[in-house]
Amino acid sequence: MADYSIWVLEYCYVPKYHKSGVLYGAHNEGYVKLPYCYVVIKGRDHIAMVDVGYNDKEYGKTLGDRFGVENWRDPKTVLAEIGIRPEDVDTCFISHAHFDHFGNVEDFPNAKFYIQEREISKWVWAMSLPDRMRWMMVAVDPGDIVRGVDLARDRRLVTVDGAMEDVLPGIDLHAAPDSHTWGSMWVTVRNDGKKESEDSWVLAGDLVYQFENLSNNGAVVDVEEMYTPVGLAVGSQANLILATEEMMSQVGYESRRVIPIHEERLNDTFPSRISAEGLRITEICLADGESSKVS
Amino acid sequence: MVDETRLFVRLAHTHKPDCVMSLDGTMPKAVPSPDELAVVFGSDEVARYAANCRPIYEDLRRIIGQMSGLAILARLTERREIRDLPELQNCESRWKQASERLSSLSAPAGTVEHKAQLEAALDFCRLAMGTFSEIRGQATLNEMLDLAGLQIKRAYTHLQAASSAKAKLEMVDFSHACCCGR
Repeated sequence: MADYSIWVLEYCYVPKYHKSGVLYGAHNEGYVKLPYCYVVIKGRDHIAMVDVGYNDKEYGKTLGDRFGVENWRDPKTVLAEIGIRPEDVDTCFISHAHFDHFGNVEDFPNAKFYIQEREISKWVWAMSLPDRMRWMMVAVDPGDIVRGVDLARDRRLVTVDGAMEDVLPGIDLHAAPDSHTWGSMWVTVRNDGKKESEDSWVLAGDLVYQFENLSNNGAVVDVEEMYTPVGLAVGSQANLILATEEMMSQVGYESRRVIPIHEERLNDTFPSRISAEGLRITEICLADGESSKVS
Repeated sequence: MVDETRLFVRLAHTHKPDCVMSLDGTMPKAVPSPDELAVVFGSDEVARYAANCRPIYEDLRRIIGQMSGLAILARLTERREIRDLPELQNCESRWKQASERLSSLSAPAGTVEHKAQLEAALDFCRLAMGTFSEIRGQATLNEMLDLAGLQIKRAYTHLQAASSAKAKLEMVDFSHACCCGR
């Protein structure tokens, strides 16, 4: 019995992204395609998302011209592929405040947003540091925080301090402080609704970019496989490894159940299709009674 | 006895609708950026102007970001100590720095409109900081945060109007960001 369907929806991509950003230490190993995605979790009573992408109206040109982001499509177009509308979404979990995850709240007018309090408070602190420490505040758009002010006023923003169980039935939030960002979090769906679930899925945000972060060749340290953190961390790679261990323990070390949203090869593991817009829809699991959106 | 809080709110709203400092006025549109103006007016002077704009822009970007975060945290925690936080004091010193830089910024022909956006952003930042300092008791917290939110949004919009990728006046610092494909 499964309570929720989960889809990973690509909304744009970077065709050539330096691999060392994805995988710590992978210098001079070329480039990989980096899809930008958000996740839809659809249950009987709720439609939730993990992250909301960014709004091309304000940043598309910058991204397109300077950073090689291609083929952006709005949530209305992307979500239509699985038969839902942005206004149907009632809950959004923001894994972290980078613009490509938190940059489009206005397209989800009926949603309540959850984010770690630390993600905001530490960013405010980072903004107060001298210019020579500017590196610590990369990729966050003040405009997203400005829009957060309106969400807070309207009681549509919830700041979470650490873990939060059953934020929706069977859905938990978990914090990974000082890792990819100051207050990153991941979302765990216990799809059988049990405390000791045997059907858990972890939606990892940017704590895991691709499969190699979960299972990389460990020959260099004389083990068969090992975790290798993502290349980019405002906090530390050690904290990323610790978060990875906790995520893996939640899924009984079945690595296919930890979903990396920047992974181009999700289709090797899960059924998927390419939309008419040239973007991938990946079906992670289906709730009882739900029909496939990829077959 | 005059209710100073209400007086402040009223005074903050008394601009004419077409005044750049009106909270309810038309939102500014993007003005010609320094890199566009350089084509018309010659590059050296405008390039110097753009370079001198950068630290001002960065100061304002940070003040807006910090105040937004503080407003969110104050709203959600319902704590009024916001005005005593070192981050707000940091905003105030950064604002002074930006104000001094902006007052000595020489605007060559064609860039006056661009500079006006920076000035408007600076002014709305001042108003928002003033609003934070007006928070006295729990009763005024939400009312003051409503006003500060409007002022911050206005400051952001003016700064956004003065943004220019080529002139390196950008809201998002993409260096080392996870999105950077190049």
